[in-house]
Amino acid sequence: MTSKKNTTIIFTLLPVIIVVLFLVNLWYGSVNIGWLDVLNTLFSNEGVKSAPNIIIFQYRLPQAITAISVGMGLSIAGLLLQTTFNNPLAGPSVLGISAGASLGVALLVLLGGVAGLQISGTIALLGDMAIVIAAFGGALAVLLIIIFVSGKVGNAVTVLIIGIMIGYLVSAIVGTMQFFSNSEDLHAFILWGLGSFSKTSIFQSVSIFLVTIVFFAAIMIFVKPLNALLLGHQYAVSSGFNVKVMQTIFILISGFLIALGTAFTGPIAFIGLAVPHIARSIFKTSNHAVLVPAVVLIGAALALGCNFISKLPGYDASLPINAVTSIVGAPIVIWVIIKGRRMSNA
Amino acid sequence: MLNIISTAKSQAKKSIDSSNVLLKLEKLTTGYKSSQSNQSQLHSNLNCNIVEGELIAMLGPNGAGKSTLIKTLTGMVPALHGDVRYNGKNLRHMSNKEVAREVALVLTDKIDDRYLTAFDIVGTGRYPYGSFMGRLTKTDKEIINNALLLVDADEFQKRFFYSLSDGEKQKVLLARAIAQDTPLIFLDEPTAFIDSPGKVVIMNILSNLVLKHKKSILLTTHDTELALNYATKLWLLGKGSFFTQGNPDELVKSGMINKLFDRKGVVFNAATRKFESNPDML
Repeated sequence: MTSKKNTTIIFTLLPVIIVVLFLVNLWYGSVNIGWLDVLNTLFSNEGVKSAPNIIIFQYRLPQAITAISVGMGLSIAGLLLQTTFNNPLAGPSVLGISAGASLGVALLVLLGGVAGLQISGTIALLGDMAIVIAAFGGALAVLLIIIFVSGKVGNAVTVLIIGIMIGYLVSAIVGTMQFFSNSEDLHAFILWGLGSFSKTSIFQSVSIFLVTIVFFAAIMIFVKPLNALLLGHQYAVSSGFNVKVMQTIFILISGFLIALGTAFTGPIAFIGLAVPHIARSIFKTSNHAVLVPAVVLIGAALALGCNFISKLPGYDASLPINAVTSIVGAPIVIWVIIKGRRMSNA
Repeated sequence: MLNIISTAKSQAKKSIDSSNVLLKLEKLTTGYKSSQSNQSQLHSNLNCNIVEGELIAMLGPNGAGKSTLIKTLTGMVPALHGDVRYNGKNLRHMSNKEVAREVALVLTDKIDDRYLTAFDIVGTGRYPYGSFMGRLTKTDKEIINNALLLVDADEFQKRFFYSLSDGEKQKVLLARAIAQDTPLIFLDEPTAFIDSPGKVVIMNILSNLVLKHKKSILLTTHDTELALNYATKLWLLGKGSFFTQGNPDELVKSGMINKLFDRKGVVFNAATRKFESNPDML
């Protein structure tokens, strides 16, 4: 257990890191804007039509806010799933939930022809909401299957394996649909699949942020049942919790957060899986009173960091965010697991 | 130690007279229901009580249904027929929280989280009290520390649970049950995987809880000799719905223990209170 003093230090340091990364994300991009201009634009109400103002308020600011929100949301979802299934490998993509969201979007984009709205860049509110609803519906469908299976099987590892299989199955269906769809729709769907924090307006990004904050606050109410679940299903029951109801609540909340993020940004790999591990290894605790705020802060910082890296090539086209989060996230997970091994052997 | 045991037994008799019934089994049938028509029954029509100050040991061969009975008594497995009553309240109408205030559990489930400390684990014993949210209160922390002291686990309370020995883990889980502050504690094989002196330590703690802290305890065990030394009452659960209860000495004398296990080539010697091989029966 990290001492209280260290915990406090890290908790004050993380917001500072987030603010710095946030400003770096506003400052860095294909168009050069000076530091002073960035700050001026942010904190003054003048020059509404200036170039820096447009670039920052219409592109970089929503992108950064979306990165923060989705980073937080996926990290909370990953933590909830790992605790609920009592499995360190649980995460948005592993359980097939992201794949479910993809299926929802694929059904809409590839069969429904909403692609035109996506590809033109001016996403109409209706088409946009349709994609969110489709992603949510797809994610929820997979979630319901998993809830049903976990009710029948009870063994968390079996549930996880079934989740992985459902993921494969859904991906296969999506693949088949891709094969039969026209190139324009396919292009739109693949773009969605590569992931991007930059498809949101300022209004949307702030909305996602506020919704995520509400869920964060809601989760803080469930610290005790989450901790109890770490002892396993039966001990959680003996601590007085209705575990089935709790599990359902946690799965639904994580499903909603994954769907929310996935709908607006496409599936983002590894953040949901990696961040809870990073949080546990930094704070040396499994207590959710610490872990929930920790994953929120680390998730926001990591997503901002990945977004910055994706912009590094400096060209108009930035790297797909999904590739960056995988390249950053996978080694972190490996490192954390190896470190944990060593610790348990010592 | 023999003194402690004899006083525990005499105290139990006294409290039976005053008959403060904490738990009542009424025509209880245990088992599993796989579908509407298909159910496998383990024990049927059980009628018995747990009163204040009892240390009951449940004995029986593997697969007899001891763990299932504990799970049925706590509502984790629904009863096929009959009722369980805590202080008169029917288990069927009690919430998990209400049950958690009547009975604490020590189970055989493995806890494999890497970053929970012994203190964290004991802390979950306080969860039936207070809201979902929030930290442990000062009173909670006092109760947790007292529980840790009672089982002699306070010195490793800050260590990670997974790094403890099996004996230390069992003490921590026992402290969790004590911190839950319930009149009843059920333990599923509390002495399994623990070395011989460790078993005696655990049983002494349990005996102490009954004597000095007015707890009533129900445990399952395969350590028959240990159970006979400490229990104030035995519940014998055999295969094929066999159930009988009573005073340990009487059950030994009447040959019930021998009948319960009924293993070829092994016999329970009532004089030595040990299982011995019996070549005649091979």
